[in-house]
Amino acid sequence: MRFVDEFRDAELGRAVAGEILAAVDPRRHYKLMEVCGGHTHAIYKYGIDDLLPDDVELVHGPGCPVCVIPMGRVDDGIAIAHEPGVIFTCFGDMLRVPGSNGTLLDAKAQGADVRMVYSPLDALRIAREQPHREVVFFAIGFETTAPSTALTLKRAQAEGIGNFSVVCNHVTIVPPLRALLESPDLRLDGFIGPGHVSTVVGARPFEFIPRQYGRPVVISGFEPLDVLQSVLMLLRQLGEGRCEVENQYARVVPFDGNVRALEIMGEVFALRPHFEWRGLGFISQSGLRLSDAYAAFDAELRFATPGVRVADPKACQCGEVLKGVIKPWECKVFGTACTPERPIGTCMVSSEGACAAYYNFGRFARSKEAV
Amino acid sequence: MTARDLGPPSCHCTTCADEGVPMRVLGVEGAAGLARCAGEDGVASTVETTLVEPVAAGERVLVHAGVALVRLNDDESQASA
Repeated sequence: MRFVDEFRDAELGRAVAGEILAAVDPRRHYKLMEVCGGHTHAIYKYGIDDLLPDDVELVHGPGCPVCVIPMGRVDDGIAIAHEPGVIFTCFGDMLRVPGSNGTLLDAKAQGADVRMVYSPLDALRIAREQPHREVVFFAIGFETTAPSTALTLKRAQAEGIGNFSVVCNHVTIVPPLRALLESPDLRLDGFIGPGHVSTVVGARPFEFIPRQYGRPVVISGFEPLDVLQSVLMLLRQLGEGRCEVENQYARVVPFDGNVRALEIMGEVFALRPHFEWRGLGFISQSGLRLSDAYAAFDAELRFATPGVRVADPKACQCGEVLKGVIKPWECKVFGTACTPERPIGTCMVSSEGACAAYYNFGRFARSKEAV
Repeated sequence: MTARDLGPPSCHCTTCADEGVPMRVLGVEGAAGLARCAGEDGVASTVETTLVEPVAAGERVLVHAGVALVRLNDDESQASA
C-alpha cells in the first residue's frame, strides 16, 4: 500500500468533500483555524479550500515560526552577525526576514559571515571545525524544532565546545492559541491542530481549548486527505454537539508526545516571563530562553545586542493576517510592494507563511477578482 | 496525476520550518545517539536519534531539523511529510 498516494487520491478527496458538504448546517458559517504553517502551505498547494463549501472558511493561524519573529529580534541577530570573528548561522528563510535596517542576507552582503544551516547540529559542526571563530545559531521554531536545539546544546556542553552559542527565539504553541481565543475580534468555531508539534507535546496540551473555551480541536496530518478529513471531523463534532481533542494524525502523533524530548527541553530551556510575537504583541510565558545550566551558551549574554522593540512597518498587516482577522489579499501591500522576492512582512517570507502561500499558488489572481 | 507528479512533500524546505521528513536508518554511527539515515531521494545524512533510541538499520523515522522525533512503520512514513 502506498499511503502517500492514498492520502492524495483525488477520488477519495472528492468523496470526503461530499461528506463535508453533507455535514454542513446551511444556517451556519464555520470559521476553522489551521494553526500550523505547514497546513496553510498544504491547503493552497493542493487547492483544498476549493473543495470546501463557501460556508466553511479556513483561517490561517500563527504557526509559521518565521512569521512570528518580531523585527527587534532580527536586529539583535544582525548586530551579533556583524561582531568580529562571528560565524552566524540560521535556517534559510530567516536570511530574508526584514529587520528595521535590512536582512541577514544584507548583512552577509556587507561582509558578515552569515551561513544557512538545516539543523543546529550543522552549526555545532562548524564550531568544532573552526575553534578560533565564534559560531552563533539563531534558533527559531515551536516545540518541533526546540528539541533539536536542546540536543545540540547538550552535545556542545558534553564536548566542551566553548565557541558555540545560541540566540534562543523558541516559542511554545499553547500561549498564542490562548491569546487568540481571548481576542475579542476573532470568532473561531474550531482548530485544525498542529501535527508535528504534537509529535513532541502530544495531544494533551490542547485539551484546555474544548474544556475552557468550548472549541473542538483535531490534530491533523499534512496530506490533502488528512486536512479534508480533519475538517470533516471538526464539522461532525460541531454538528453532534461534541467538543473534544481528536487525533486524526494518530499514525504519527502519540497522545502523550515524546516524553524524552519534553524532559530534555525542560533541562535546557526555561520560560521567559514574556516574549514578543509579531502581530500578536507580548504574550506571557510564551518564549524560551536557555536555562541557568546552559547560560554559558546564551549568545544574548555573550554579545551586546540592541534589545530594542521595533514596530512593524505601517503598511504591513501581518499582525491581522496572523490573527486571521484579514485574508492575505486584503492587505494593502500584498502582491504589490510586498512579494516573496521583496517581502515587507514575515508572512511573505517563508513558504509556510499565509501571504506567500496565497501568492505562490495563484491566489493573487483570484483575489484580484474578489477585490 | 499521481502523488509523485506533485513533487516531494518537502520541496518547500528552504528553512526547516515545522515540517517532518521520513527517513530510513542506514546504520547507527559510532557516537551515541547518531545514525546515518537516507530520505526518499536517497540523500544520506547524519541524524540525531537520541529521542527515539534504540534504532536499527532499516527502521524509519520522522526527522525534523536533523533530529528524529518519532519512529514510523513503513506505511506511516509514506504519508507523514
